Amino acid sequence: MSFFVVGYYALLLVTSCLAAYFNQRQAFLVLFSLTLVSFVLGIVGGVPALRAVATCAGLLLFAGMIAYAFREFLIYLSSDDMGKELRTAPLTAAFGMFVIFTYAIMGIFAPWIAPHGEAEVISSAFAPADENMLLGADQLGRDMFSRIVFGARNTVALALVGTTLAFILGAMAGLLAATKGGFFDGVMGRTADVIMSIPSLIFALLMLSIFGGSLAAPSTSFWLLTGFFCVVGLLFLAAAAEGAMGWLIGAAIAVGVAVGLALFGTSIFNASEVILILVVAIIYSPRVYRLTRAVAGNVVVMDYIEAAKLRGEGNWYLIRREILPNSTAPLIAEFGLEFCFVFLLIAGLSFLGLGIQPPTADWGSMVRENATLISFGDITPLIPAGAIALLTVAVNFVVDWMLHRSSGLKE
Amino acid sequence: MKFKESDVLLKIRDLKIQGYSDETWVDIIKGVDLTLHRGEVMGLIGESGAGKSTIGAAAMGYARDGTRIVEGSSIEFDGMELTNASEADKRALRGSRIAYVAQSAAASFNPAHKLIDQHTEAPVQYRIKKRLEAQEDAIELYERLRLPNPQEIGFRYPHQVSGGQLQRAMTAMAMSCRPDMIIFDEPTTALDVTTQIEVLAAIRDIVDQFNTAAIYITHDLAVVAQMADTIKVLLKGEEVEEAPTDQMLSNPKEDYTKSLWAVRSFTVEQKARPKDSVPLISIKNVDASYSNGPKILDDVSFDIYEGMTVAVVGESGSGKSTTARVITGLLPPSKGEVLFKGEPFPPSYKDRTKDQLRQCQMIYQMADTALNPKVQISEIIGRPAQFYSGLKGTALKNRVDELLDLIELEPAKYYNRFPPELSGGQKQRIGIARALAAEPSFIVCDEVTSALDQLVAEGILRLLDRLQKELNLAYMFITHDLATVRSIADEVVVMQNGQVVEQGPKDDMFTPPHHPYTDLLLSSVPEMDPNWLTTLLEERGIDNIGDAAMANIDPDDEKVEGTQV
Repeated sequence: MSFFVVGYYALLLVTSCLAAYFNQRQAFLVLFSLTLVSFVLGIVGGVPALRAVATCAGLLLFAGMIAYAFREFLIYLSSDDMGKELRTAPLTAAFGMFVIFTYAIMGIFAPWIAPHGEAEVISSAFAPADENMLLGADQLGRDMFSRIVFGARNTVALALVGTTLAFILGAMAGLLAATKGGFFDGVMGRTADVIMSIPSLIFALLMLSIFGGSLAAPSTSFWLLTGFFCVVGLLFLAAAAEGAMGWLIGAAIAVGVAVGLALFGTSIFNASEVILILVVAIIYSPRVYRLTRAVAGNVVVMDYIEAAKLRGEGNWYLIRREILPNSTAPLIAEFGLEFCFVFLLIAGLSFLGLGIQPPTADWGSMVRENATLISFGDITPLIPAGAIALLTVAVNFVVDWMLHRSSGLKE
Repeated sequence: MKFKESDVLLKIRDLKIQGYSDETWVDIIKGVDLTLHRGEVMGLIGESGAGKSTIGAAAMGYARDGTRIVEGSSIEFDGMELTNASEADKRALRGSRIAYVAQSAAASFNPAHKLIDQHTEAPVQYRIKKRLEAQEDAIELYERLRLPNPQEIGFRYPHQVSGGQLQRAMTAMAMSCRPDMIIFDEPTTALDVTTQIEVLAAIRDIVDQFNTAAIYITHDLAVVAQMADTIKVLLKGEEVEEAPTDQMLSNPKEDYTKSLWAVRSFTVEQKARPKDSVPLISIKNVDASYSNGPKILDDVSFDIYEGMTVAVVGESGSGKSTTARVITGLLPPSKGEVLFKGEPFPPSYKDRTKDQLRQCQMIYQMADTALNPKVQISEIIGRPAQFYSGLKGTALKNRVDELLDLIELEPAKYYNRFPPELSGGQKQRIGIARALAAEPSFIVCDEVTSALDQLVAEGILRLLDRLQKELNLAYMFITHDLATVRSIADEVVVMQNGQVVEQGPKDDMFTPPHHPYTDLLLSSVPEMDPNWLTTLLEERGIDNIGDAAMANIDPDDEKVEGTQV
């Protein structure tokens, strides 16, 4: 009977008795059932099993405390209105926000945080962790921790940009389809159906093997990006432009903006990344389109839209001031969800070798490159996988809270 | 008292109910006592938010989500205390001994099952009757409630039955276990007057026949006067007074009750058409239909003169709102045209100029859906002013302030609010202000008061009247409420099945001889006299009200011949 075991049972019993005494039903039930389970676990698994349980509980408690403190910190920093909203956030959502915050810091300041470069070979392959390398080395002897930090930047930035583009395209098309209806609605709907009818991974593989991978040339990616922005610009024009003059001037502006954005895009990302972003945007925009169209469809039948139409308002005002403010909540929630899917798709494509090209660090390809280690019982390949999992879970926690808020009993 | 002390069925003492909002518990019901005897019908009356429905639900021991019955309240149903009864005990009462009839029968029936299957559910569940027995009983009840085709109607789905019939089927369903008490929560509010009267007669008979106690919740005094033995008036969760119906009607004690009674006395002096002038809006031989469907409007023509109020009455489906849609241009007519000061209006609103759009504004029935919940009041009202007159900055703010003053809302207080923070009456006022902001000469008021309580509705009517005098507006007042017509209209147009049945100045329309349909409409409006329903049923005969009477209209009547095509 070690000191640990005695302390373990004593703590559990004392807290469960306290919970029972102070009439905390739920806490008591959890604590006491844990005590009973621990009796069995202690007999079957011995002290290590109890230690594992204690570590898990400790981690949970730790995460809870961080989440609580982080929420209070945010409430303290933000304005009154915002603080009131934040107070309704459950601990899970606060934890999610904390994780997202950490990842953001990690991605933005990657070169300063990471002790080594992402492509820098500093030791032998698969070297174990030491005081120089926090998580050991990968199959070429690069520092795992540095690559995780840089990977946050690359993978998350790609997913974020891809999702944003998918949203701009899909949401704009959905809003237009809901306001215009008729022929336009039909054409957009069938186009979306065609894209959705192809399994997304296969579609991505197809597109990437045509344009992407090592074949990607900077000029192709520039023109593709310009084309994409022109399509988006066309949608905006269809909503905003009035009369032939409006169309002409609008078209000129749209082309200019599209070229500018494309130049900007190609200067940040390299050719294969641009293709990847476009593929992601095209694959995910139909889902956004359908959701937006459904949400906006419920809004356009309201009397205030009719009143605005009778006033003689154009489509652009209708979309911007009347429809969009009433459909933001589900769209934001959908953004969070789609972001996770995009993230996983990019990680999956990288795992298959079609996503982000080496030597750029990326969580998906890191899993693949180190996958052989798993047969030796090493957890190294699980670290990038864990980073992916943690982010998706965190985003979903936040999205859950937002969904609850938008669908809740709020007048 | 006609009820004995020993016959007490429901005894509520010091009922307090709280609702959760803004992170605190707020009192909704603040200590109400209620005693209901067997066979007694009690009318609960009050504005929305007075807690009528909450008390109705509490009589079943039920508190809605987000509300709770405070400890110390007592609800005793036939000797059984409901506040501390277990959920299973309470469930055993509901449906078998206490039944509930909801406001919207259409929303309360499950559209996927036949009426009779839903009817027999309760008796079979409680093992009171076998399924076949229950079906026979249902048919008998349908017969007693004078539903057409009682043998067959139960085997239809809810959408195959009209609103009034559905409401009666629901009453029959509530009766299926012969409960001791039924709670009627505004059962006729959503119905037309001609349909309402059928339902009222049916409910009253069946409650009498089975000596059932009932709580009848409504905001319509005239209705409750027909149904109830005693009336209890509620205001903001507190009881104002309670008295037997006769006494309550003839001699109300409290000021609030008196003010409720006084509402019906508001009238406006009838204006005559200005001589030798062109009508502001003139509808000429308009036919209209929705996308190749059947004709909704059939040769409708009438004129609206400047500064006058034309009330368009008729039951739902008679084409009142469609006429408004034709005038505003939302539904281009298939034949005929709309003239504005002698000039034809383009048929579709898309082809109208800004100035033409500005002339003709609309106020909607449901202020909730007519105001964008995510836009501030200042922008809702300011936008038309900005859009049509190009006002900006201080000029725009001054205009909004002026408009808020005009609708009697304090500008500083409401400028930055959002519609969900306002009450129903305030929202309707904002809707009016939005229409006024365009500086129109003609406003379509589509059932503007029917979603409001009587006191609030009267405030809106007075406001509209004042604005008409100040701004020389013309109103087209769409309504099915003849009391409103009587108080505000100058001219009346009666519509039925998309045709104008009769039209003329108000005084002529309210004095006989009438077109039979007008007569039916007029006679179906409940009056404050508690014996009105009885007298009417004696006069017209039980089978000559509502739909049945409509079918009985004699096509050879001289008043009818002129209008039928």
